Amino acid sequence: RSFSSEEVILKDYSVPNPSWNKDLRLLFDQFMEKCEDGSWKRLPSYKRIPAEKIQDFKTHLLGRNPKFVKEEQLSQTQLFTRSFDDGLGFEYVMFYSDVEKRMVCLFQGGPYLEGPPGFVHGGAIATMIDSTVGMCALMAGGVVVTANLNINYKRPIPLCSVVMINSQLDKVEGRKFFVSCNVQSVDEKTLYSEATSIFIKLNPAKSLT
Amino acid sequence: MIRRGFQVAARLGHHRGLLGAPRILPRLNPASAFGSSTDSVFSRFLPEKTELKDDALPNASWCLDMLCLYQEFLEKTKSSGWIKLPSFKSNRDHIGLNLPSGLAVSSDKGDCRIFTRCIQVEGQGFEYVIFFQPSRKKSVCLFQPGPYLEGPPGFTHSGSLAAMMDETFSKTAFLAGEGVFTLSFNIRFKNLIPMSSLVVMDIEVGKIEDQKLYMSCIAHSRDQQTVYTKSSGVFLQLQLEEESPQ
Repeated sequence: RSFSSEEVILKDYSVPNPSWNKDLRLLFDQFMEKCEDGSWKRLPSYKRIPAEKIQDFKTHLLGRNPKFVKEEQLSQTQLFTRSFDDGLGFEYVMFYSDVEKRMVCLFQGGPYLEGPPGFVHGGAIATMIDSTVGMCALMAGGVVVTANLNINYKRPIPLCSVVMINSQLDKVEGRKFFVSCNVQSVDEKTLYSEATSIFIKLNPAKSLT
Repeated sequence: MIRRGFQVAARLGHHRGLLGAPRILPRLNPASAFGSSTDSVFSRFLPEKTELKDDALPNASWCLDMLCLYQEFLEKTKSSGWIKLPSFKSNRDHIGLNLPSGLAVSSDKGDCRIFTRCIQVEGQGFEYVIFFQPSRKKSVCLFQPGPYLEGPPGFTHSGSLAAMMDETFSKTAFLAGEGVFTLSFNIRFKNLIPMSSLVVMDIEVGKIEDQKLYMSCIAHSRDQQTVYTKSSGVFLQLQLEEESPQ
């Protein structure tokens, strides 16, 4: 697959940086080992979507929205989960297994994601769950958007701790992709939350519902 | 139940042991304009005097729609019992109370920010203001997502929308009945939200039973012609403790 020149200079954020704690680095190494035989892949993650993917989205979205996406607007924007300096917000990396249709996200939530004092905001957890299940659906279905997200919070996640978001493509019905996930501690002994979701594959000029 | 004396007992049931007890200095305001026990929650939440910066005020990035609706609701705060909620950089500034005692959560995290105020640059992240009507347990959030909240190109990240909804549910739940933690959250996305446009969220508190608060929300465009999402949330009620003076 060819890459545009813009991608070549984009920084990949899904690699260890000084803010990553011991748990995150350990898990990262474990999953990198799994990648060695090709059964798992690490997903690179950029602050901005590469030019060719923007074209993809535009093709699918222009039909629905008469408003054109302004070029100037696009140049100011950046992916929400990469809008923070090292360690302050979302530190994460995703690994994908095509055989198992599983997307695993290793996530460390920083101090700018606080909700109840000392814990990660429910909305930040929702954001990472949405991103993970979304990527899982995207790998299977291409251009998709979230139609439904249902989250059960079992235990609050302490700020700056590391969790594993384990997502799975359950089934595909027409244009609907059903993905579920759980959020666990590093040792898999604590279940923090569970979620189910539905994503819809976009057809050009068709409505969402 | 009158709690002028701020009872220290916490009803936890099976939730004990899961929660931390960070040290938070209380921001007490016992001699407020309010009278009853529910109002004491308000007096703690809405400090009369503070040097903290209120982020829920108009700035140059607010679009015209947002400014207009803000004015409309500001009028309602004078006439129909609505309250504009202040919004500080950290939740610790709002709630001068402790989570019930249990595992200690160390608060040496340095500069912590409430998620929806994580991006402090005007207009780039979450621009929002929440109005609450205590008598009918309803709230309205005016939300303008900035360019740092992008998902699909030119549109808002569904996660950031979920975050805004969870935050509005959270403040509503706290003021309506001391709801503190999200238990469950369901969102049905109907239409994508263009970047930097105004989203109006209408939230209602339904039933309150078994220590749980049930809420629903519809997010729509200003003219109500486009529904963006429909969602519901359940929050856990917890009686918070006043920190004993040092």
